[in-house]
Amino acid sequence: MKANLLASPLVISDADFQKFAEYFHRKTGIHFDDSKRYFVDKRLVERIEASGAGSFRAWFAGLRFDAAGTELQRVVNTMTVNETYFFREAYQFDCLVNNLLDEVVACKPPGSRLRIWSIPSSTGEEPYSIAIYLLERWPGIDRYDVEILSSDIDTQVLQAAQRGVYSQRSVAQLPQAYLRKYFTQTGADEFRISPDLVSAVDFSRVNLSEAADTRRFRDIDVIFCRNLLIYFDDVSRRVAAEALYDTLNPGGFICLGHSESMSRMSSLFTVRRFRDAMVYQKPLDA
Amino acid sequence: MGLKKNAEGAGLHEVAVREYPRDLPGLLAQLADDDVAVRRWAARDLGEHPSAAPAVCARLVEEPDASVRAVLFSTAARLGGTAVVQGMIGLLRSEEPALRNGAIEVMAGLPTLVAPCIDALLQDADDDVRIFTVNLLGDLRHPQVPQWLKQVLWTEPQVNVVGAALEVLAEVGGADTLPALQAVRARFADDPYIGFSADLVAERIETA
Repeated sequence: MKANLLASPLVISDADFQKFAEYFHRKTGIHFDDSKRYFVDKRLVERIEASGAGSFRAWFAGLRFDAAGTELQRVVNTMTVNETYFFREAYQFDCLVNNLLDEVVACKPPGSRLRIWSIPSSTGEEPYSIAIYLLERWPGIDRYDVEILSSDIDTQVLQAAQRGVYSQRSVAQLPQAYLRKYFTQTGADEFRISPDLVSAVDFSRVNLSEAADTRRFRDIDVIFCRNLLIYFDDVSRRVAAEALYDTLNPGGFICLGHSESMSRMSSLFTVRRFRDAMVYQKPLDA
Repeated sequence: MGLKKNAEGAGLHEVAVREYPRDLPGLLAQLADDDVAVRRWAARDLGEHPSAAPAVCARLVEEPDASVRAVLFSTAARLGGTAVVQGMIGLLRSEEPALRNGAIEVMAGLPTLVAPCIDALLQDADDDVRIFTVNLLGDLRHPQVPQWLKQVLWTEPQVNVVGAALEVLAEVGGADTLPALQAVRARFADDPYIGFSADLVAERIETA
């Protein structure tokens, strides 16, 4: 450890940080201010050392001019936190039940169907959170049929989602009342979700980059596609955004992760700012 | 009412029966369909047909709907190839900013194919094309970008082209850019904007 410290004089200067932060923001929409300095510097040093570049300058030149974008993808993965849990970024679920669904049903007669798509499903925390929110916090659930579709490219996480067994960490943000109502504790660190919720979500494997996969999805009213597109290259991101556009009904909404911006991917959507969240909408006249 | 899962397979629509075959001639025919959604799907599916590149680029000029245009640009980016690069270079001369910006975005994703065209574009008789080329360099992942930008500082007569190059150099310039910065400062000694921008770039390089 001491030897490593002595042999590791890499320091990210203010100018280096600014240069990186500007470039990273332009490429991903993710903004790092000085409050994230420690987080960013630590990961930059890790990437510079792993790449063998030896200095920020050499590494940044490699990043900047790497036609394949490999190092950019690596640094994106390093700089983004990839974890999920129940009620993560719940302000968007608040927006769903406080605003989005009411707008969607405004032109639908009672008894008609709404369709919500959660992609990527990961291990199921997001689609099940949506289901719980609808049951607990959206009065319209008594007047409409709601289908929740959820997809992922990874069949292993889909299997885990359908098993519906979660750790304490995963359910930590759930109100105790909901935990008691929808889960059964089956071990010291094991909570099994209600079979009724498992059976209410339609899981499927989908590669968002494959037109053949997404073409089956139509008439979606709300899409949750959070913290996925930031991992795509520019062209794939745009193609995916356009595919999502075609799956939506006119006036349908799409919710992205807090660090993602549809405006950087595609000009097809309209930005809508609600009290709880900013989301993107397919124009009503599309 | 409530949460409802459709019966097996019924949750999703089957792929709609389409009037046209999904082969190349059929898809090309659909690019002119009256239905925007049909044109958009055709534009997307043409991404599987490399020989469609000239037709995709040509359609961009005629296509009136922004959503179809967006997909046509994405398809051009997926197809790549010299036909797409030539098509996009043609769009740089368009009067429509959306077409020019889309072209720059596509070209930025094709650095190896675009690189052989940069010298000629930087010599183009049209000032605007040279400015758009410098804008393109700002997004182009190619090791020769700093060299091309320095060339602009040494030789470019048009002040707005030089200004655009200085903006990009603020990010990518290195110590070897300093002589070109001094030279451009001298060449445009009467222009305070160039002087300010050149000093800013030099300061960034020296403090990095």
